[in-house]
Amino acid sequence: MSSLGALLLYGVFALGAAGVYLLLPRGERTRALPGAVVGVLALTALLVVLSAEWVAPQRPTAYFYLFSAVALIGACRVVTHSRPVYSALYFVLVVVAVAALLVLQDAEFLAVALIIIYAGAILVTYLFVIMLAQQSTEPTYDRYAREPLLAVLGGFVLMAAVAGKAGDVAAPNAVRTLPVVNQVASETDGPGTISAGNVAAVGASVMTRYVVALQIGGVLLLVAMVGAVALSKKRVPAEGFQQPARPIGQVGKEALPF
Amino acid sequence: MLPTAHYIVVGAVLFALGLVGFLARRNLIVMFLSTEVMFQGVMLNAVAFSRMHRHVEGQTFALFLLVIAAVEAGLALGLVVLLYRRRGTLDAEAWSTMSG
Repeated sequence: MSSLGALLLYGVFALGAAGVYLLLPRGERTRALPGAVVGVLALTALLVVLSAEWVAPQRPTAYFYLFSAVALIGACRVVTHSRPVYSALYFVLVVVAVAALLVLQDAEFLAVALIIIYAGAILVTYLFVIMLAQQSTEPTYDRYAREPLLAVLGGFVLMAAVAGKAGDVAAPNAVRTLPVVNQVASETDGPGTISAGNVAAVGASVMTRYVVALQIGGVLLLVAMVGAVALSKKRVPAEGFQQPARPIGQVGKEALPF
Repeated sequence: MLPTAHYIVVGAVLFALGLVGFLARRNLIVMFLSTEVMFQGVMLNAVAFSRMHRHVEGQTFALFLLVIAAVEAGLALGLVVLLYRRRGTLDAEAWSTMSG
């Protein structure tokens, strides 16, 4: 990547960080409209810079830009929305968009697994807990972010450090140094062809070379299940508020100990 | 700049957005949702490298990432429910006494 491209990329990141900072909930001082404008500008600039840097023979389909935009807007809303239910629903959008990006990279099995496990299982669990802990009014801790400036600065530094180096990753001699086992897609496959071999290739890899890891993963899930059941069955003393007498989520009149 | 780099950039932005959410939000549930956004960025990167090397190992690794994400979500939400029942709030600041 050219140094001009890298500089442009850093500028775009700074713009995006400013947009996220404006969008983060800060009570009355939330700047939703300017934040959205700056954020959309940063997103457009990011996609333009990326398309300008693209090597000619590997021109992307429009789908890459479409799904990247959906994923990034969704992620931004997950982080900045002041109501957790909407955050969770925007996260579904992120998962679907990322699954689409995986399909673009011929990883069909993983894309479907992502939708089933994330959008189907994990998100439902999240929604259950959000509903369980629902407050009647929007609580203060959802309307005010904690140290938004420092958080955005930290995220910006990390993003610049990782993405600024992204141009150096795909150096030509770094490609194909690993042995080619179970090719993802054959060389003759044009862009957009769905190779049925992907499921077989991933399955063969999981079931032969990584079968021990697969078993450990299963045991880990079992342990987590037992742990979660044990955790949620445990009776805890309510500190500073009475549990059964009033509806869930209301804090008692007496002063809380913190 | 090869296509892999583009997916890495998008993955990095997703990861950074998740990090910002984890640091800035005070609601415990939204904090853990932000970690899931970070997982999405990592998964995108793993698959992009798998594509770059034309090798399925990246995808296998991403599959195990999914397992870990499921384990994390289950246990984290169990803990969040426990904390909520104790204090009646999801505010992470309510537990700031633990930081000493």
